[in-house]
Amino acid sequence: MTQSTTRTALTVLPAILALGVAASATAADAVPANDIRLGLYSVFYHSSADDLQGPYVPAGVNLNAENLETLYIGYVRRLSPHFLAELALAIPPEAKVDGRGPATLGSVPYNGQVISSARWLAPTAFVEYNFFDEGTKFRPFIGLGINYTTFYDRNTTAAGDAANGGPTKLSLTSSVGPAATLGFHYKIDQHWGFNASYSGSRVNTRLVADTAGEQRTTSIRFNPYALVVSVGYAF
Amino acid sequence: MFNHLRPFIAAAGLASLAACGGSSSPTSVTSTSTTHGTLAENPPLRIASLTATDFQATLAANATAAPLLQLTGNPTCGVDFYYLKFWTVGGAGETTESSGAMMVPTGAAPTCSGPRPIVLYAHGTNTDKTLNIADITNASNTEGVLIATAFAAQGYIVVAPNYAGYDISTLGYHPYLNAVQQSGEMIDILAAARTALPGTLSAATSDSGKLFITGYSQGGHVAMATQRALIAANLPVTAAAPMSGPYALEAFGDTIFFGGVPIGATLFAPLLSTSYQKAYGNIYSTPSDLYAAPYATGIETLLPSDTPYQTLFATGALPESAVFDVTTPTATDTGGNATLAAALGVPPTFLLPASASTPVFQAGFGSPFLINNSYRVAYGADALQNPDPALLGTGVTRAAAPPSQPLRLAFYTNDLRTGWAPNSPTLLCGGDADPTVFFQVNTQVMQLYWSTLPEGLVTVLDVNGTPAGDFALLQGAFQAQNALPSASNPSGGTAFQGYLAFYTSTAGGSLPLAQAEAAAELAVIEGTHSAEAPFCTEAAYQFFTTILNAGG
Repeated sequence: MTQSTTRTALTVLPAILALGVAASATAADAVPANDIRLGLYSVFYHSSADDLQGPYVPAGVNLNAENLETLYIGYVRRLSPHFLAELALAIPPEAKVDGRGPATLGSVPYNGQVISSARWLAPTAFVEYNFFDEGTKFRPFIGLGINYTTFYDRNTTAAGDAANGGPTKLSLTSSVGPAATLGFHYKIDQHWGFNASYSGSRVNTRLVADTAGEQRTTSIRFNPYALVVSVGYAF
Repeated sequence: MFNHLRPFIAAAGLASLAACGGSSSPTSVTSTSTTHGTLAENPPLRIASLTATDFQATLAANATAAPLLQLTGNPTCGVDFYYLKFWTVGGAGETTESSGAMMVPTGAAPTCSGPRPIVLYAHGTNTDKTLNIADITNASNTEGVLIATAFAAQGYIVVAPNYAGYDISTLGYHPYLNAVQQSGEMIDILAAARTALPGTLSAATSDSGKLFITGYSQGGHVAMATQRALIAANLPVTAAAPMSGPYALEAFGDTIFFGGVPIGATLFAPLLSTSYQKAYGNIYSTPSDLYAAPYATGIETLLPSDTPYQTLFATGALPESAVFDVTTPTATDTGGNATLAAALGVPPTFLLPASASTPVFQAGFGSPFLINNSYRVAYGADALQNPDPALLGTGVTRAAAPPSQPLRLAFYTNDLRTGWAPNSPTLLCGGDADPTVFFQVNTQVMQLYWSTLPEGLVTVLDVNGTPAGDFALLQGAFQAQNALPSASNPSGGTAFQGYLAFYTSTAGGSLPLAQAEAAAELAVIEGTHSAEAPFCTEAAYQFFTTILNAGG
């Protein structure tokens, strides 16, 4: 990801919300405008990656992202009786990547070994359409949004270093991609509510692994799907 | 009104902080120093890691490598293959990055870890500019496989440069047979390897301080030059085993210019002339002084090449074997010097009487040819006027005075008969039927040159000699493979039989027996120099190990 693409993404986010602001400004009512949510973020990757390319890499060396769970933090802003904006955040989890391909590289175990880890920060902004009237306890919703993912704390494991042939520096480009969600909100009382959603987004990155100046690269399509169950407090 | 944007701004801020400040795992450090002998990437890349079992299985599964196991025995140790990048200097003192291999023995056997000896190895002539002897994953890296099997898999740390001008080196030429540069580069990679070893994934293996030096063909010359340089620097050499090398370069050069053209000479010529032109600047004013018209243009950048030499032959970039004009200089061309004209004739001549080598020599003459008669005359005149005593059988030293012809002076300069001698056990292995690097004018000249040294300091092994002594088994095995048919051995060795079966088969053209026998004989002769390599390398291993076990 180049700097300019990142900047574009960050300008698009407020633009989407600006639409909502316009809507909310005209809706004068007593319904709580803000909702803070906490819950469980369960991420299922359907990752696919190109075979690793670069010097001394045999054919068929590939990667796989492990599923993970982390804490969900959401902020939801009412835009209108039917439209809400959600910013979905997570406590940055440690995402593990396994080797996939040959059982060994030379005599070094590869397939199924945890070869690297990274933490990601992946805010996703949604605009959601809620069905039924605002007073309804149970309101399903669908939404579209945009995901920005950036990776940090990128580390290779001892098994990864052994497979790579030495200490390895990883770099992963940040990703901006569309996201979609569907779920429901269940109002317990005026303030408290329960929420569940299932969402997917496009998170693509280009991985460069540098070992002693030799660069091996691949493109990874994480294809994450996330199940979120959360409790929210509206005010 | 814009309060709702705060989380986004905060998130974006957090993201950029994370992107900037996020720690990443350590990687190798690229040296800022380009001083020769500096390791450029520390730790170096491990290209591959093989256990003894896996290495054996890999070798056994490869048709060309499997016979090697018969010679060396199965691996005792696993081997980790490191790709070293280091700084050295070129033939004219240019700073250049070079690369090479460090092969580290690993495993549980007592001879595979802890303090282990180093074998510093110099490879033979290779026209492939992309050569990387560390890359064991490359099927064409047969020399890398050989040294890994013979030495590393038996407990020696192997250190071997690819040479400046190859692989990552941007020097633009290779300082071929430049004794000062090549020995300097060997010492540079040795220093880089000693820097690298403690920080590798194979740090359980360390340098014992024992140092063995060997190399084959071009690398035989490099190994001997390295031995000389280390002795001059008062650095200990445990033992050395230069193999099939052009040590007595002046005697060898004179032999060639007088018509004793070795197999491979059209490839050696551009490597040599460019190396010496870059180092000394006086080999020619323009390449066409030396090279005939079809080949002069671009010759300085021709080798080493990304293009296989077979393609260079096929496309006419180089003649396959014709070094000299088949129309040899007349007495008129030599300014009335009839002796010189006779010496420059197609062998047999008075200097090179008829022998088994005569057909090989004659293949060095043709048209189109590589080297101009005028250059041959100038070289030959100098060689007759200020002769190399070894060539005439009148002595063992170089010419009495530095030659006046610049190429011959370059040979003289890089000839290893410079008043030094080994100070630790030295094995000179070769084969007396070698049609590429002549045993008689190189190995045997050095043997004579050092004949007054204490008994046992210098040992000569002729793999083609009558089997006797410590290496009798290897001599017998070499001859069982490479013998030509003779009265006492009418069916020849296994190599001859293999070629004969090929040439009489449909794939080989179903040649009539007499023609097939001639073709098979030629194929064996052409392959002799390469065929000696595994046998001499194994001899070097046995020689070193005997010394090591005796307490070195």
